[in-house]
Amino acid sequence: MPRSSVTRLGELERAVMEHLWIHGEAGGGSLTVREVYETVGTRRELAYTTVMTVLDRLAKKRLVTQERDGRAYRYSPVGTREELTAQTMRETLGDLEAPDRKGAMLHFLDDASPQEIDDLKAALAEIERRSMTTSGSKSSSVGTRRFRRA
Amino acid sequence: MVFAAALVTLALVLAWPVPRLLARMTTFRRAPRAALVVWQSVTIAAVLSALAATPAVLPEIGREALEGPGSARALATGGAILSGLMLARVLVSGHQIGTRLRATRRRHRELVDLLSNAPEVRNEPIDPQLYVLEHATPTAYCVPGLRSRVVLSQGTIDALPPAEVEAVLAHERAHLRERHDLILEFFTVMYTALPPILRSPEALREVQLLAEVLADRSAVKAVGPVVMARAVVAMAESTAPDAAMGAGRSTARIRLDLLHEATRPRILLSLLMFGLAALVLGAPICLVVAGWTTS
Repeated sequence: MPRSSVTRLGELERAVMEHLWIHGEAGGGSLTVREVYETVGTRRELAYTTVMTVLDRLAKKRLVTQERDGRAYRYSPVGTREELTAQTMRETLGDLEAPDRKGAMLHFLDDASPQEIDDLKAALAEIERRSMTTSGSKSSSVGTRRFRRA
Repeated sequence: MVFAAALVTLALVLAWPVPRLLARMTTFRRAPRAALVVWQSVTIAAVLSALAATPAVLPEIGREALEGPGSARALATGGAILSGLMLARVLVSGHQIGTRLRATRRRHRELVDLLSNAPEVRNEPIDPQLYVLEHATPTAYCVPGLRSRVVLSQGTIDALPPAEVEAVLAHERAHLRERHDLILEFFTVMYTALPPILRSPEALREVQLLAEVLADRSAVKAVGPVVMARAVVAMAESTAPDAAMGAGRSTARIRLDLLHEATRPRILLSLLMFGLAALVLGAPICLVVAGWTTS
C-alpha cells in the first residue's frame, strides 16, 4: 500500500471491517472473535489476541457494536460501508454551520448557493477571455501543458 | 491613571469598531498575507491592551494605594479584575475550542482511514497522501493537524478533469503546509473569548476568506488562474443544496475575482499594511511604557 500514514493496525482494522461488512451484507448476524479469527485471522496469519485487540479498538471507536453473549462478545458493524460513508460526509457538511464552529476541517468551497452559479460562470468566462488576450496567458498555458501529459 | 483609561479605551476600540471597519476594507484582500498580519496585530493589540490596563498604572497605584484615597485601590482592583477576567476567558476559550477541534479531527480521521480508497484515475494512483471517500457528492477538504489528510469524494474525481483535481489538491495542501488551521484557531479563540456583544462575525468570516484566498494563490502558482477558476466553478456547481449557507454570502465570486490578483504582487499595499500592523501593535506597548516612565 502506498500510504505511509496507514499503520499496520489500521490495515487490520480495515480488513476486519471489510469482513464484517461483507458478512452483514450476506445476511449474517454478529460475529464472535473466534469466528473473525478463523476467517480473517488465519488468512493473514494473525494471533487470536491480535484479532481480539482489533475488534476491541473498533468497538472503542464506535465503529462496531459489542454485545455480550454468555462468556463471549459478539461484534457487528455500526452501519454498512455506505451508511458510514454517508454519515462521514454529513459530518463534514455539518461542519459548515456557525462561524465559530467551523474549522475542524478546511473545505475547498463551502457556501456557493445554486442561485449564484450563473454569476460564477460569467466570472469564469471573463477570466478565460482575459487570460487569452493578456500576457497572463503564459501562466495558464503552462498549467495546461503540464497536465496534457497526464 | 489616564494611561489605564487609554488602554481600556484602546482595547474596546480594537475589539469592537475596528474589526467591523477592517472587514469592510475589501482592498486588503489583494494582499492577503499582509491582511492576515494586520488582523493578527489588531487582535493581539486588543488583548494586550485589555491585559495591560493594570500593569500600566501599577507604579501610580502602588503609591496611592499605600498612602492615598481608597478610590485608587478600588480602581486598581477593578482593573485587575478586568484583566483577570479577560485572561480567564481567553484561556477557557482556547482550551474548549482546542480540545473540541482536535477531538472532531481525530474522530474524522478514524472514519476516513477506515472508509477511504486509494485514489486512481485511469488506473494510475494520483497521490498516496490523498484519501478518497466512496460518495457521489463532490466534496474536498483537509483534516489539519499532525496527522493531516486531504480528503476528496469519488464524486469530485469523477466530475472534474485531472488538472482541476490537481488545483483542488494544491489548494488543500497549501492550507496544511502553511498551517492556516492554527491561524484560524487563534482567531476563533479570540472571537469566542470576547463577550458576545463585542464579537464581530464579519471579522471572523473575513479572516476565513483570507485563508482561502491564500490557498487559492498557492494553487494558482501550480495550475494557473484559469484552471483554478474552473475548479472553483465546477465545485460550486456540484455543491449539495443543503450545504449552502444562504444566498448572497458566497465567497466563491470573491475568490474568483481575486484569482487574477494572484499573479500580481501588491508590494506597496503590503508595505502599507505591515506598517499599519506595526503601529497597531506598538500602541498598547507605548502606552504601557509611557505610563511607567511618567509616574
